[in-house]
Amino acid sequence: MAEPNTASAPLKEVQIEALVVMRIIKHSTSAFPTPATGCLLGMDVADNIGTQLQVTNCFPFPAAAPDQPPAQQEQQYYQQPTDAATLAAGAPRAKSNVAYQSEMIKYLREVNVDAQSVGWYISTSMGNFVNQNFIENQFFYQKVTDEKTVALVFDVGRSSAGSFSLKAYRLSPSFMASYREGKFNTEAIQKSNLRYQDILVELPLQIHNSHLLTSFLHQLPQPPPTKNALDFPSSIADLTHDPNISSNPLAPNLDHLDLSIDPFMEKTCDLLLDSIEAHQTEQNNAQYYQRSLAREQTKIQAWQAKRKQENQLRGQQKQPLLDENEWTKLFKLPQEPSRLESMLVGRQVEQYARQVDGFSAVVSGKMFGVRGTMLPGDIA
Amino acid sequence: MGTSQNNYLHLARPLAPAAVSTTAPSTAPLSVSLLPQALFSILDHASRRPADQERVIGTLLGTRSEDGTEVHITNCYAVPHTETAEQVEVDMDYQKAMLSLHLRSTPKEVLVGWYATSGELNTFSALIQNFYGQQGEGTFPHPAVHLTVSTAPGRDVDARTYISAPIGVTAERAADSCLFIPVPHEIRYGDAEKSGLEMIAIAKEREDRSLLLQTDVETLERAIEQVLEMLERVSNYVSNVLDEEAEPSSALGQFLMNTLSLAPKVDAESVERDFNNHIQDVLLVSYLANTIRTQIDLSNRLATAALTMGHAEGAPPTDAQQQDNKQQSDRGGRGGRGGRGGGRSRGGGDRDYQRENPLGL
Repeated sequence: MAEPNTASAPLKEVQIEALVVMRIIKHSTSAFPTPATGCLLGMDVADNIGTQLQVTNCFPFPAAAPDQPPAQQEQQYYQQPTDAATLAAGAPRAKSNVAYQSEMIKYLREVNVDAQSVGWYISTSMGNFVNQNFIENQFFYQKVTDEKTVALVFDVGRSSAGSFSLKAYRLSPSFMASYREGKFNTEAIQKSNLRYQDILVELPLQIHNSHLLTSFLHQLPQPPPTKNALDFPSSIADLTHDPNISSNPLAPNLDHLDLSIDPFMEKTCDLLLDSIEAHQTEQNNAQYYQRSLAREQTKIQAWQAKRKQENQLRGQQKQPLLDENEWTKLFKLPQEPSRLESMLVGRQVEQYARQVDGFSAVVSGKMFGVRGTMLPGDIA
Repeated sequence: MGTSQNNYLHLARPLAPAAVSTTAPSTAPLSVSLLPQALFSILDHASRRPADQERVIGTLLGTRSEDGTEVHITNCYAVPHTETAEQVEVDMDYQKAMLSLHLRSTPKEVLVGWYATSGELNTFSALIQNFYGQQGEGTFPHPAVHLTVSTAPGRDVDARTYISAPIGVTAERAADSCLFIPVPHEIRYGDAEKSGLEMIAIAKEREDRSLLLQTDVETLERAIEQVLEMLERVSNYVSNVLDEEAEPSSALGQFLMNTLSLAPKVDAESVERDFNNHIQDVLLVSYLANTIRTQIDLSNRLATAALTMGHAEGAPPTDAQQQDNKQQSDRGGRGGRGGRGGGRSRGGGDRDYQRENPLGL
């Protein structure tokens, strides 16, 4: 192709290597319950339809040093689990970790690992990841022009329960523009018409294996059988104790057919309550702002009326007029709180709602299946 | 959970020379367990090696049990090295620097050994092994674990683990040579890894070795299909046995009977009741979540729409205000309207917002 690829070819999907999947799983499960963050390496491959981002390796970030500037903490209205968690979640953009990342990339390049950073990953539990830290991290990566980065979110809780849950997100361009300006008060949102659904864009994700890995997988846990039919076991003990049959890491994972719903439901309800509280706090802040604004306005109007009267008197007495606009210096209007938090809460609740919908679809299917088994001949 | 192959003869574990540890080191056999991600990383490194190198090496990190009898390999990284017929060079600085970087992110993992991607053991292996097992930088006083993964294309991927004992006629020869003792190893994985491994295993069946990540419902569908397939196979076998076309096996029959008797015997009413409760719980939470989502959406929209209503100089806010004011005294109502007329742009809008807020919440 003679003409260069367009720099703004949009990312259409993400492909990750099996190695990256396993590393993310291992790091997330070992760091649970604090969120585990790390950097993704790979490259972007452009083809006719769009760009595909290939992630070929990853490494974890160390938890940032405790001397993070306190300015980062003041915006957290709703509760954060622990300080360690906040530090860990903010790790990708901490200054010490930027140095760590470039050092790691330098060393990894010597052993032929792709040296381009294509994003970061974070682990979460039950979908609880849409918060200020997440947005800031992704913005930190996406603010460079012509970049191809993605945030991978791995859900530890749901994956242990049987359904593997890994998703790729980017910030939408409209949100990026608003975030750059930094103002999220009412007028800005009205102008940009931004809704909380528009904040994140999800990309489809593929897992890819290398040839060597595929041949290895075909070989686990035992070499392929040399005979056509296996011999019958001679006793039950034989069956249960034969390691090739009773424990197979690649056997179909039937945890998924488990019927228990309580852990998931309880946690989801707890998280929904937390979100509602956060939303309530936001509402209270907004109302407080409105009330104090109204109070200031009345005070200003009263002052202006007085000034007018005085000026009238002075005009009659031929004295110099006082400045009518001095009220700007005397009265300070309160700052409108940012609406970003309430938008994030909205997005988070939508995430929970989607999860619950998916879960209820699966559970309804299972329940009807079990009922059909237990009460044969009873068509629901 | 784990897989292991082969049987091992227990030889007394060689102790480190001049044992300085306070607890008496035991000669119990060392067993090594391996995480899948370390293995995948080694395979990935093998496929990325520079074209002229037969094998590549790297360092193994992991944790050790208290007395050193169990080594758990959790991570690894590659170390560049060059190998010619006469000598071998390993980049020491790289190894030290990477080790310190890794220790920063995962301080619990320590150096436990090294790996190589070809199955052969030669003098160079011995040299490198001694380097890794030495005092100071190496794994002293615990033996260094050597993992070989043979990655020759077309043949099986064979992983073996060894520890070493010094062997040699004189002290200098002992520095160059090692007796590699094979030790048993197994691959361990946890629940979350199981689901990840399943996804990867499905990808192995397909042509392009890749798999689009699926939703929960599709995963459920696949799991049910697998169970149905298994049931079909078993029922085919049983009917064949009944038709005397296949050989019966008493162990299999017994096992099947044990399994099938696990199905619970419950009466229809309690099943109906439990079923209804179960489904109701799930649907209730789903409904609540969606309601909350709608509520928050609504309140966000109201919050940002309030100003437009305040700016509009037309009837709607006035009407709403007048209806409210009918409930108050006339003077208060007139005062309210007058005040609003005066500070129309922001004050009126804000008061509208405040009155409507109970709805928006």
